[in-house]
Amino acid sequence: MRDKIGDSNNQTLNTMRIAVALALVLAASSLWAQEGFGTKAPSVTMAPPAAVAVRAGSLGKATLQFRVAEGFHINSHQPKSEFLIPTNLKLDAVTNIAVEKTTYPTGEDMSFAFDPGEKLNVYAGDFEVEVVVKPLAGVTPGKYTFHGTLRYQACDNAACYPPKNLPVNFEVEVAGAKQSPRHSIRNLADPKLK
Amino acid sequence: MQRNNLILVGMAVLVAVMLFFAARQSRSGQTAGGAPASGPLGLAGQTAPDFTLQSLDDKTVHLSDYKGKVVLVNFWATWCAPCKIEIPWFVDLQKQYGPQGLQIIGIAMDDASPKDIAKFAQDMGVNYPVLLGKESVGDAYGGVQFLPVTVYIGRDGKVINKFFGLKGRAEIEDIIKKALNQGAAAGL
Repeated sequence: MRDKIGDSNNQTLNTMRIAVALALVLAASSLWAQEGFGTKAPSVTMAPPAAVAVRAGSLGKATLQFRVAEGFHINSHQPKSEFLIPTNLKLDAVTNIAVEKTTYPTGEDMSFAFDPGEKLNVYAGDFEVEVVVKPLAGVTPGKYTFHGTLRYQACDNAACYPPKNLPVNFEVEVAGAKQSPRHSIRNLADPKLK
Repeated sequence: MQRNNLILVGMAVLVAVMLFFAARQSRSGQTAGGAPASGPLGLAGQTAPDFTLQSLDDKTVHLSDYKGKVVLVNFWATWCAPCKIEIPWFVDLQKQYGPQGLQIIGIAMDDASPKDIAKFAQDMGVNYPVLLGKESVGDAYGGVQFLPVTVYIGRDGKVINKFFGLKGRAEIEDIIKKALNQGAAAGL
């Protein structure tokens, strides 16, 4: 008899455990559904950039890769209205390394449900910004880090979000300046250097 | 015993289903372009928070200045493309329903200078007051994380509804008409 009661209690306990576990699983799945359906914030992320190896006095190119979260778009660098906030990369100055040129991709002309008649120039998905840097000839070889921000303003099909600044960092590894052939020949011709 | 177990499982499922719908309900107030929502703070039916803001022509404007009117408060910004779609509709609706007691108020939640906002408003032919927004006013209305946000206030000063994202013109007009009629029926 006692064994029977014990078995019965165990069975109830097990059922309760299963019930609680089921409730937790369903609750978790409901929270997951909530998170994954329409609540994600508009975000732009940057892939870790490769270091730019460049000789002093030469040009080096950093390719910065960005991704706009699915379902959102951001204005391109040259949006079609003066009031729209363009995507813009701002880099802090690094002593003895000049930013020669920043190249933004051409945006995509897209129309949206909120105004099918008008096309906006935007970035959606992945896009790249190229930065050409030039260490001055006299710069000490070594690693230098550029810091800056990518300013962007995101929208979805029905609403727009305030402008944001994404921190941007990339490294430039400067090697010593290449000696000119003329200089090298002169060096080789110099008996003192032999 | 078997029956008790079934009841326990049933209760667990019920709790989970309730959690699911509660979560969806709370989220619906924050979805861009989603269903009409009364806002995260459940503003519908509550007295609209009064505010004091400066207009583009440097006048001090209070919400309470428009007591007895149906007020449509539109939070917008010059950089918001969907807002630009709504503004011409608001201009038309102000013309059409202004004489019946509608007052549209634009609140610019913008970093742009008042001069740029004024230029934008002028270019759009805005015929209603445009006020320079403050975050505290947005917060009082349940937060303005994205734009446009439109709040409808009845003649009794109570919030009728709050919408996030762009809505269709017909939908906006329908709410205005109902609000005007409600006020008229109540003799306000």
